[in-house]
Amino acid sequence: METFALSEPVLLVLLSLAEQPRHGYSMLKDVESMSGGRVLLSTGTLYGALQRLLDHGWIERVEEDNPARDRRTYKLTSRGRRNLQMEIERMRHLTKLAALRTARKEA
Amino acid sequence: MITVYCWLLCLYPGSYRHEFGEEMTSVFREARSALPPALPAKISFYGREFCGLLSGALYAHFDRLFDPAIPFRRLDMRSQFRFPRSTVFLMLVIFAGIVLTIAKASSIVGDTSGSVWPSLVSVMVLMLLGMCTAAAVVVGILHSLRRGGIHRLENLPGHMDSAGSNGER
Repeated sequence: METFALSEPVLLVLLSLAEQPRHGYSMLKDVESMSGGRVLLSTGTLYGALQRLLDHGWIERVEEDNPARDRRTYKLTSRGRRNLQMEIERMRHLTKLAALRTARKEA
Repeated sequence: MITVYCWLLCLYPGSYRHEFGEEMTSVFREARSALPPALPAKISFYGREFCGLLSGALYAHFDRLFDPAIPFRRLDMRSQFRFPRSTVFLMLVIFAGIVLTIAKASSIVGDTSGSVWPSLVSVMVLMLLGMCTAAAVVVGILHSLRRGGIHRLENLPGHMDSAGSNGER
């Protein structure tokens, strides 16, 4: 499997949407909560990432009956979910490798 | 502060503002209302927001001007044109040759009607230094923006297969 890496803010945004569809402010708070307050996204950074993810079909807007322009909800597409799974797999592999290497060093 | 925020949003391209402007303002308003009363938290929040807006506007303009040909940020996830490093060197060599030719021609003309160039060597050195500095800055910026490695997504078999189909299986 080829490896790739997402930046931490993008990964956290995707993880936030993996659980459930969310709107912008909910994503900000969830990212902050997931990272233990370490990653604080600004609205500029968040919407820059969302625009990219929308452009590439990783996320999409949820169709609503009465859509409000100032409070849209986003969700992962199947493509986004698949790529997120691949990233998680890559990280799992990396963690396993790190554990092995550090264990050898200690031994 | 909302007024300042809206004013800063004007730095974004019109299409971006139309798509996300109201939403961003709304999220900013919500985040602002949930701020703790402590002054350091407020300073940190406003600093983060305004820096984020400025850099976001810059990126949005880069995207609008250069997308999709040239990658300008680490969030980029589409197929990208790779600028060979050797091209920079070749461009410098060609540029030096042109400067040399112009300077030589000027010096020949200068024998009869007075030289425009103060010194051939100093002009060439200055030009080359300028070009090297500019090239180093550009390469440095591109490198720092792409260190996330997301551009490598284009090599993923799954990514390639699903391109254009919006990822629906």
